[in-house]
Amino acid sequence: MQAAMKHLFHWMPVVFGLGFIAPLIAQSMAALGIAAPFGLSRIALGLLIGGPWGLYAVLRGRWI
Amino acid sequence: MGKVELLVARADAGLGADLGVRGDVAAPFIGLTARDGLDRYTRRDLRREEIAIAREFHGGAMWPYAAAAFGGFALWLALFPLAVYALVSLPLACLIACVLATGGYVTSHEAMHSNIARIGEKRRWLNEAVGAVSTIPIVFPFGMARLMHLEHHYHCNDPVRDPDYTDEAPNALLALWKTWYNRQPGVDGSIHHYKRILGEMATSEAERALKETMALQMMFMAVLFALAWSGHALAAAAVWWLPRHVGLSYIRFYLSWAPHHPREGQTGRYENTRVFKSRLGHVMSMGMETHLVHHLYPGIPNHRTKRAFYALREVLAARGVDVSPLGKG
Repeated sequence: MQAAMKHLFHWMPVVFGLGFIAPLIAQSMAALGIAAPFGLSRIALGLLIGGPWGLYAVLRGRWI
Repeated sequence: MGKVELLVARADAGLGADLGVRGDVAAPFIGLTARDGLDRYTRRDLRREEIAIAREFHGGAMWPYAAAAFGGFALWLALFPLAVYALVSLPLACLIACVLATGGYVTSHEAMHSNIARIGEKRRWLNEAVGAVSTIPIVFPFGMARLMHLEHHYHCNDPVRDPDYTDEAPNALLALWKTWYNRQPGVDGSIHHYKRILGEMATSEAERALKETMALQMMFMAVLFALAWSGHALAAAAVWWLPRHVGLSYIRFYLSWAPHHPREGQTGRYENTRVFKSRLGHVMSMGMETHLVHHLYPGIPNHRTKRAFYALREVLAARGVDVSPLGKG
């Protein structure tokens, strides 16, 4: 159980990117009236940014 | 008596830091080093005078801390529906939540030192409840906060044993940057550092604190995700996510960096905490201008440290403390 939790926390930035940053980006765009490019939906764009950004945070150890 | 209870009891005594013994975890790092050039008789007389003055400022009504903790927590909870249903604008909700998240540490801090009710007292439950609710907005469980804070008191400015040593930075701007940097997933600072120390402590209290931390972090994520995917990501960000970051940075800057800078080599009882003049004033810096009084006497409540400082001013000056930043009051 503890090992599983450790594993989960290690990958948490990816989960956070998909679970929170993605909808936050989509809803921020909607609030500002900005459309997603290339015919994407806002949430698809949010997922495309949030997921890789979280992965970057896991691999690099920091968000920026 | 468990380790937490033991540490709490020793911190409550306020004089525990005087033992001056280096060694195991229970032994304080802080010593009564004689850098003031005084002979032992003068130091003894000053110490007696200091204790007599400090005694006058211990205790007092602590119910306002409990009222602030529960009232603040209730208001913070209320901000979720208020923000979701647009009954309060998001910037205003965010501002209020930032104040509550930051201020919660002050009430929790009193509970960490058992200043609301000590072990064995009738209202001990209140002390524990105040501690438990106060730091939920910053996702910092009371069990971990208390253990780490007492370690900070016992090993203040020890580069290895002071859990807050990672906040040190050469100047205020870098210190602010470090409050953010230390929270990054791959950096051994802030809560990551605390988790590692708790793991190394390997006591039942530390294990419980680790479990509480994981549970609170999971709850934080679950609430954020649930709100975000039900269309309320902006409300979640305004009421919890952003205020948590603002609060943690503010707390780290004012409660850790500002009063303990420059840390290196400053481990003596009268030198591990500096007196400073805050640009934002005493209240906005959460009473940290006179944080030295708190390190000398943790039983003096936060709101009384300023008056205690001015009462102790001459004694502290005689002990080599630079009291000039705050003038004569």
